[in-house]
Amino acid sequence: MNKTIGKPVPLIDGVEKVTGKALYTADLDGREALVGRILRSPVSHGKIRRIDTTKAGALPGVMAVVTGDDCDMTYGVIPIAMNEYPMAREKVRYRGEPIAAVAALDAETAEQALALIEVVIDELPAVYTSAEARAADASQLHEKKPGNLERDVHHSFGDIAQGFAAADLVREEVFDCAEINHAQMEPHAALAEYDPERERLTLHSVTQVPFYVHLTLARCLGMDSSRVRVVKPFVGGGFGARTETLNFEIIAALLARKVGGKVMMQLTREESFLTHRGRPQTQVKLKLGLTKAGKITGVECEVTMAGGAYAGYGLVTILYAGALLHGIYDVPNVKYDGYRVYTNTPPCGAMRGHGTVDVRHAFECLLDRMAGELGLDPFALRRANLLAAPMFTANDLMINSYGLDECLDKVEAASGWAERRGKLPAGSGLGMACSHYVSGAAKPVHWTGEPHAVVSMKLDFDGSVTVLTGASDIGQGSTTIVALAAAEVLSIDLNRVRVVTNDSVITPKDNGSYSSRVTFMVGNAAIEAAKELRAKLVAAAAKKLEVSPEEIECEGESFFIRGAEQSVLPFHDVAIAALAEEGTITVKGTFTTPKEAQGGRHRGGAVGSTMGFSYAAQVVEVSIDEDTGQISVEKVWAALDCGFAINPLAVEGQIEGSVWMGLGQGLSEETVYQDGLPVHAGLMDYRFPTIAESPPIDVQIVESIDPLGPFGAKEAGEGALSGFPPALVNAVADALGLEVNFLPVTPDRVLAALMKYRRALAKKQSKKEAGK
Amino acid sequence: MSEVMPDFQLARPTTLDEAVVALATPEARIIAGGTDLNVQLRMGLAAPATLVDLSLISALKTLESSTSGTRIGAGVTLADLASDERVAAYYPAITEAAALVAGPTHREVATLGGNLCLDTRCLYYNQSHWWRKSNDYCLKYQGDICHVAPKGNRCRAAYSGDLAPALMVHDARLEIIGPDGIRQVMLADFYREDGADYIDLKPGEMVTAAVLPPPKGPSGYRKIRVRGAVDFPLAGVAVEAEETKDGKRFTIALTGTNSCPIMVDMPDVLTDDPNAFFANLNKAVQKAVSPQRTTTIAPHYRRLSIAAMAARLARELV
Amino acid sequence: MKRIVNLNVNGRQVEDVVADSLLLVDYLRDRQGLTGAKKGCDGGECGACTVLVDGRPRLACITLAASVDGAKIETIEGQAKNGRLSALQRAFHENLGTQCGFCTPGMIMAAEGLLKSNSDPTEDQIKTALGGNLCRCTGYVKIIRSVQLAARATAEATQ
Repeated sequence: MNKTIGKPVPLIDGVEKVTGKALYTADLDGREALVGRILRSPVSHGKIRRIDTTKAGALPGVMAVVTGDDCDMTYGVIPIAMNEYPMAREKVRYRGEPIAAVAALDAETAEQALALIEVVIDELPAVYTSAEARAADASQLHEKKPGNLERDVHHSFGDIAQGFAAADLVREEVFDCAEINHAQMEPHAALAEYDPERERLTLHSVTQVPFYVHLTLARCLGMDSSRVRVVKPFVGGGFGARTETLNFEIIAALLARKVGGKVMMQLTREESFLTHRGRPQTQVKLKLGLTKAGKITGVECEVTMAGGAYAGYGLVTILYAGALLHGIYDVPNVKYDGYRVYTNTPPCGAMRGHGTVDVRHAFECLLDRMAGELGLDPFALRRANLLAAPMFTANDLMINSYGLDECLDKVEAASGWAERRGKLPAGSGLGMACSHYVSGAAKPVHWTGEPHAVVSMKLDFDGSVTVLTGASDIGQGSTTIVALAAAEVLSIDLNRVRVVTNDSVITPKDNGSYSSRVTFMVGNAAIEAAKELRAKLVAAAAKKLEVSPEEIECEGESFFIRGAEQSVLPFHDVAIAALAEEGTITVKGTFTTPKEAQGGRHRGGAVGSTMGFSYAAQVVEVSIDEDTGQISVEKVWAALDCGFAINPLAVEGQIEGSVWMGLGQGLSEETVYQDGLPVHAGLMDYRFPTIAESPPIDVQIVESIDPLGPFGAKEAGEGALSGFPPALVNAVADALGLEVNFLPVTPDRVLAALMKYRRALAKKQSKKEAGK
Repeated sequence: MSEVMPDFQLARPTTLDEAVVALATPEARIIAGGTDLNVQLRMGLAAPATLVDLSLISALKTLESSTSGTRIGAGVTLADLASDERVAAYYPAITEAAALVAGPTHREVATLGGNLCLDTRCLYYNQSHWWRKSNDYCLKYQGDICHVAPKGNRCRAAYSGDLAPALMVHDARLEIIGPDGIRQVMLADFYREDGADYIDLKPGEMVTAAVLPPPKGPSGYRKIRVRGAVDFPLAGVAVEAEETKDGKRFTIALTGTNSCPIMVDMPDVLTDDPNAFFANLNKAVQKAVSPQRTTTIAPHYRRLSIAAMAARLARELV
Repeated sequence: MKRIVNLNVNGRQVEDVVADSLLLVDYLRDRQGLTGAKKGCDGGECGACTVLVDGRPRLACITLAASVDGAKIETIEGQAKNGRLSALQRAFHENLGTQCGFCTPGMIMAAEGLLKSNSDPTEDQIKTALGGNLCRCTGYVKIIRSVQLAARATAEATQ
């Protein structure tokens, strides 16, 4: 029986957050630090002819100026696609790209210094959309990348022609989804300190991936990685914005080394938007074949992404988009063509639901429309295509647990779907959709052969258990998961456990917080470490009680002989006995992904591979003001299969947060560029929802108990996101009869589409009457 | 790039006379709640030598109501205005407009005077210094052309105050104090259709109060925006319905659609065919407004939605 | 220009020299070391810097320190008493009204401002009062619940 897990627990670092004691990067002691500031490109595309920093460098109070000349090493999260410099060299490729940076005694001086840097750029034509970028005469961003095609992917599984031949209904539609940004509440910041006497660098940053930052700093500064230390303080959200090293982190380090001291780099909100790495503008051309009974026979999908000026995660994004066509429904015949295109805009990257959201949107919208044509209920159509775990998909993704059927049952009942759909007042409607996401990428982007996760535990004289982990808590509660795993296995109070995180000189290496890997991988590693520690304690207790270890039970901070509960040893006594054997006890646990989880042998087959998928279904209720196109989301019912809820409170929070982030993408979020200048680069103009229009979200947790998951758990923080936008658009169709193929469904777009729809309807009506 | 506040001197007068003296210094500007100006200062949109802080002048904070009308001090905060029962009873459009401005914390300090004088807004203007410099600035500030209408000869930035139309439909006058003494002007005449020069306030002058005659009838205010809080109006409309001997007569004023708030002439009274009447009202509003590409939301949408909202509000007031 | 201001910050009387152009948020963070108030935007857009000035919520990032001379300033750091969490802090902690925590100080202070004037707010009143405080993690669901539970806990404690 579970003692600690499975019950709602507040986050163990929550007290710091509600008291203001939690220190984020910009809160760190910057009294001795110089102020770092970045000069950014005013043009979208151009050849740098001259950068003269003489005047800036001579300004009193300016301690260092750096430019592209100070770093000739590229960086990028994919080892085979590093094509970005921390500061532009030779060419600039987007407005806002760093060109130079200064470190000065104060912000005023730093600003004056930036104004004194003379930059001459010969402007080149720029491309802002996929279509412009792929046009025959388009200006080319990168050498060796003709047609601005960063990467194309072509996958085929089963027999697509046969699939469509077997279909009773085939439909094809094109969906356009706007580029969006993470807009995490904390703007970017980094604090870099260089000690020239010992040639060591320390960087505190807002990152989700301190390990990758560590490697990149060593690479770009030409330093031995043993001389680099990376610390992650509290981080104010990430959502993927910080799953790769970002230019300002390297620039802060370059400045610190140049001055031989400390530099605080705090980016404005606008600069945080310019650093981007969000979800790319994506066009999805999708063709589905269904039988009369609603069984999917064929899926043909072409995806084009406008990826921005540099590679970043682009290759992975375009692969995810195809790979996760699989893994949710039974789709035997699938053809996928993906195109990732360079544009003169800030580079895109990973964002919550990486690669899958826009494709899932198209899929779930088209399924709903075809259900309508076939006279099938949307729930029935999904149920006709469920998977049966354990199994492998057509593209060799491993599935050991599958709770989508239960998710469907739960939201169908909770929303009153059967009774209410089609019976709501005019302008109101219900829509539904399903979604899924990986629980950690089975192959990391930076493949070293090491275990995916390592957790260390220390037990010492005071009887406390200290857990050391490199897992990056960015608000999702990973630190609490690690503590819960230790407390559960050791059967001790949560307060006896302290967790130390993210300091490269103390904590073991971890790949970081992305692809929802932490609970699954780090959770398993923590369980293994705790089990090893428990074995040592059980041995010590057995010795003391003069029985064999097999006879020892451990429960409620005590050890005793099974069946003889009068012989109870308190935890601390057993700890002291164990320490007598070997002194301070340190153990570690690791997690390595099983080979069969690592995906197919086809090129790019590793992307999408995972140990287990979360599954989600949701129903969205809307009411629409037909005069203004304004959509009100009245309520959302969501159910997610997270395998097992180690901390149900945190799982609920993750589901609410991801559904809501889908709401933002569905309703109002988009980046808008005016000739490459961001018009959205503030929280007034990047309109993520306020509390006012955010709906109540009814959450239900489904537990399919994954055989490989920690205590049966899978991911919970991403899977529900991609179901929201299609459920919303399906609800709009239910309410108005209007089918739209764009995201977000802002009031202006809805009103325009509604007027067009009404005109077409009236025309049809009058034709019909004329024909009578 | 950064967001360094410019260096200025803060004057904190406690009386109107002191304020007028302080305002007479070169490059002085008024700061009331600071919810708009401080943002602009951070973005490099102004560099005043002196800021005259009006928050200590108690004479600006009074709200008096009698049978002959209501006088609202320019320093009355929007939070206080939104919760004033007399205003809610007589001028509901004002209450509704005040409650819809920005976010609640802005409304704690933002003032009536500040909202009436709110700077016009544009996607080419409300940007950082780096942004505007990269775009060769604009006609409204430091530049030569209006990027919204490059062939035109004036700034097209949109007036975006919520309160002005609500006061205009109630025939508000403004009280203005300056070096030459006190003057009054009809609020509707206070504005002009030029985003760079949108109010009739001479150097050294400041608004001290809005004066309202007794209401002629019920009123309301509606606002078009993408989100349910914080957003400036994409467009806003106030309507007042007056019972005349000939029938119901509507006064309509709009914000967010032009470089100044505008009144819509509705000479006809409500007829026996309300559907036709309100359809005409809708058309009249569409014709009167001229939204420009000052926001990312299409001008045509702002025109259509606010006209529909005006007609709906008018119906509700019947 | 600089001037001397007298402030009461979390119950402590301070006299300080500030530039006329110094923002309250920078004064609190850089001069008082009270980094609970956050800078989440480029001015007045997110609410993360919300503090109480004479009991009312105020955006410290668009407030001049010189303009609150003589005022009583309350920040998130002054909310716990003898290390014990305030009702709102406890509710946000126990009900996951905070995830990444960056909006939390401002959110709690705005909610504190609400509860000071309305001890039993409806859900709509909570939504109105927190309309200017953005959160990117929670979807606001547990924030609303936290405020409701804090109000209830306070009512029960004073009964």
